[in-house]
Amino acid sequence: MITASVEPWVDEPMTRFVRDAGARIALLLLPSGQVLAQFGFTRAVDVMAACALAAAIQASSQEMGRMLNGKPFSALHAGRTRQFFLAEARTARGPYIFLTVFDDGSSLGLVRMYFDELSASLAAAAPPLAANPEPVLAANFEGELNKNLAVLFGRA
Amino acid sequence: MSTQFSAVLDALTRQRGVRASMVADAADGIAIDSNLQFGQDGNRVAALSASLYRKARQSARAAGLGATGFMQLEAEDGRLCILGGDTLVLVVIAEPDANVGLIRIEMRRAAEQLA
Repeated sequence: MITASVEPWVDEPMTRFVRDAGARIALLLLPSGQVLAQFGFTRAVDVMAACALAAAIQASSQEMGRMLNGKPFSALHAGRTRQFFLAEARTARGPYIFLTVFDDGSSLGLVRMYFDELSASLAAAAPPLAANPEPVLAANFEGELNKNLAVLFGRA
Repeated sequence: MSTQFSAVLDALTRQRGVRASMVADAADGIAIDSNLQFGQDGNRVAALSASLYRKARQSARAAGLGATGFMQLEAEDGRLCILGGDTLVLVVIAEPDANVGLIRIEMRRAAEQLA
């Protein structure tokens, strides 16, 4: 099992999630859509597309939750045989978006349970944020995205 | 909150040696209703019990043993009894010295009531 990550502190929690939950695909990204870790993808272009869609879905569903429920929805789940689960993991460095795809080798209950563990592990492992973090600028976004994809697919 | 499963679970939990009982979705592993004691995590029990039942059922089929009904897991401090169907699993957590035969009969009776 190989999970690839841009930041080493996410390696162990991601690998454990994939192993324990029996996930087919797992993706950890920033709310801006920049990928931090992936499992199960073979092409960089698919990661890029999945990150863009996951970030957009998360932003939309959170806003819809605020409108309908007064607070963001905590997770999104869809599918029958091949299912996806999208949720936010909060750490001291800020929120991360987590997307996973699973089939009948796992279940929503298992995925939710191991996501709670992943979320706690990420919160515990997250190194402190730099005093003055650089803002995500549109001008830097594509360069950062390509850099991360190159790291994940061994081209860096 | 009372559900259509509450009376059945109450009756199961009243059996001697039964610590907790639960109904979960067999495919999703989500707890539907439960009678738990303080400190028991219903969501974890539901997810893992349903997964265990699914794997046991797959193993039995792979070995050519046919359908799986009742399964029992013996642990150091108790027993986990699972009676499954296509859509629901009924889970009982019992004391190590509980009468499993009686629990099994009660679980079958409960399953008939839920069907």
